[in-house]
Amino acid sequence: MTVELETANNHGGGEAVTALELLQREKECGSITTFSSQLDRALKGGLPVGKVTEICGAPGVGKTQLCLQLSVDVQVPLSFGGLEGQVIFMDTEGSFVLQRVGDVAAAVVRHFSLVAEDGEQKDAMQTFDMESILSNIFLVRCHDYVELLAELHLLPDFLRDQPRVRLLVIDSVAFPFRQQLDDLSLRTRLLQGLAQQLVSIATRHNIAVVITNQMTTRLQDSQSHLVPALGEIWGHASTTRILLQWEGSRQVAAIVKSPCCMDTAVQYHITSEGFRDVNQPENSDQPEIPLTERRSL
Amino acid sequence: MFACTASDKATSGSFALGFLKLISATMVPLQEGMCPGLDGDLLRSLLAADIRTVEDLVSSDLEDVSRKCSVSYKALFSIRRVLLAQHTAFPVSGADLYEELLSSTAIISTGNPSLDKLLDSGLYTGEITELSGGPGSGKSQVCFGVAVHVSLQLKQSVIYVDTTGGLTASRLLEMLQSETSDGDEQMEALQRIHVFRLFDAYSLRDCLSALRRGGLLQASGGGSVKAVIVDSVSAVISPLLGGKQNEGMSLMIQAAVALKTMAKDFSVAVLVTNHVTRGGGGGVQPGLGASWSHIPRTRILLERVDRAPSGCSSTLRSATLIKSSRQPCHIKEEFDLQRQSRSVRSSSGKRKRDEADS
Repeated sequence: MTVELETANNHGGGEAVTALELLQREKECGSITTFSSQLDRALKGGLPVGKVTEICGAPGVGKTQLCLQLSVDVQVPLSFGGLEGQVIFMDTEGSFVLQRVGDVAAAVVRHFSLVAEDGEQKDAMQTFDMESILSNIFLVRCHDYVELLAELHLLPDFLRDQPRVRLLVIDSVAFPFRQQLDDLSLRTRLLQGLAQQLVSIATRHNIAVVITNQMTTRLQDSQSHLVPALGEIWGHASTTRILLQWEGSRQVAAIVKSPCCMDTAVQYHITSEGFRDVNQPENSDQPEIPLTERRSL
Repeated sequence: MFACTASDKATSGSFALGFLKLISATMVPLQEGMCPGLDGDLLRSLLAADIRTVEDLVSSDLEDVSRKCSVSYKALFSIRRVLLAQHTAFPVSGADLYEELLSSTAIISTGNPSLDKLLDSGLYTGEITELSGGPGSGKSQVCFGVAVHVSLQLKQSVIYVDTTGGLTASRLLEMLQSETSDGDEQMEALQRIHVFRLFDAYSLRDCLSALRRGGLLQASGGGSVKAVIVDSVSAVISPLLGGKQNEGMSLMIQAAVALKTMAKDFSVAVLVTNHVTRGGGGGVQPGLGASWSHIPRTRILLERVDRAPSGCSSTLRSATLIKSSRQPCHIKEEFDLQRQSRSVRSSSGKRKRDEADS
């Protein structure tokens, strides 16, 4: 079952769709699992496709790790309930480490070869291995904000030629904008334009967009709070916002903004295999990818 | 450009007898199909003669124009007559206007008793109401609540213009399921909500102009539309404001004029959302500046309520009335996002009206 792409020539405001049709389309789109069943449950299935999700956190808390995990998870074959899609990874900080992706990919492949039940899934496992996973990740390296904006302008053409892309990761959006722009009002305008572009790409091409953001300190009533960077107006850019933070010695992922999920917090940790739940022992983690949602090839 | 705001202030003082509405759209650009006879070729030759707006055509010397564009004088004369009829208003006596308002205005409940209290029992048709708030303050949730209420309880169509990508149909279904357990009713209610998804200011303006010019019935597939929700206006307009750009203001006012005339002509209630900015002194105020602040008749500011010491997972929100022509300003109500159809607590603190709402 293929999801129709909306044509890009809807410039007169486009056609109206009823909420019922939107509901059906959302069900077809699916979501990307994070391999942490608690987080998936809190997000009602995983990261939604067709929407913009923001991941914020202090340095070292695991934002890039989650992005790498998602880049592998989006490629899970259809017969296992995954999306079998490709990834565009826009790296602005130089945090994309190939060996790490290899480790995460190997762990995912190992997990699914243990879980494969019937012939269809076993066939899928023939083509789902580390080489194919790495070959489905398009890595783009942007050195400043101008390159980032230019890449995003060229993206619709690229996506027309590569219709299998289901995930766009920008890691991180904050870094080039905080470093090189002194004029704050220009920065706000550029960021707002960027936000609208991302929403447009996510909706028109049916892609999950994941952006990472850094944290900054805000002084309020002579107390300092850690808040996501890039200003308050940037808070409106993403549909869903996940805040990764340390609470003592635990790592907690909190959903602080979402149109359909309540504000919840779940615990996670980063292992050698990737982003995982805390309560499960490492050698037998079984994330709940609903096997009933299989799609016929 | 500011003639439209003056005319709105005049109509709001509807109890005065015998006054003129000003020409409501002097800066309307000429577009194909505006009136019979204005086709693409004629439009192009007019543009070549530097005639871009209705005002230009109406105030120009028709003989001169017909010579320059090699169009018949009669054709231009009839076009001018049609445009004048479309865009100027005739004098109406205040008493007739009052009667018309009494009979055509309806009050649409938002489905949320606390908000209805602030809004003097609900959204009034023929007016624009604005909801502003920071990220995560609940603006989109309130818009969903209004859409669900109008579609399910009042059984009327809703037009929802989504510019942020925040509309999630599964959330609408969840809200419907908490109101009724009948599956058919839920599906019917979902079919009465018509969604436009646009992501830039030009598409917004084109969409609203098309709706205003009669597309409302077409978009709703024949059902009667009672509410038009735009979530959010600021997301598409604010990237174009400021700096050295001059398009932003113009697009903002064109969209505003389209919304206002749509509200008045089709008797619908318009609800828009806006972001907030930090004003001097640390307080929040709605975005888009002073020019936009005259457009909505009623403005509400939504904020999170941080009561519990543990912080993040509170679903309480507070709504403050910051501009209204019917209630004293700065009354505050609290409600729970989870149970919008029943308010949790109502605390109205009436303070003295401030001049700060302009």
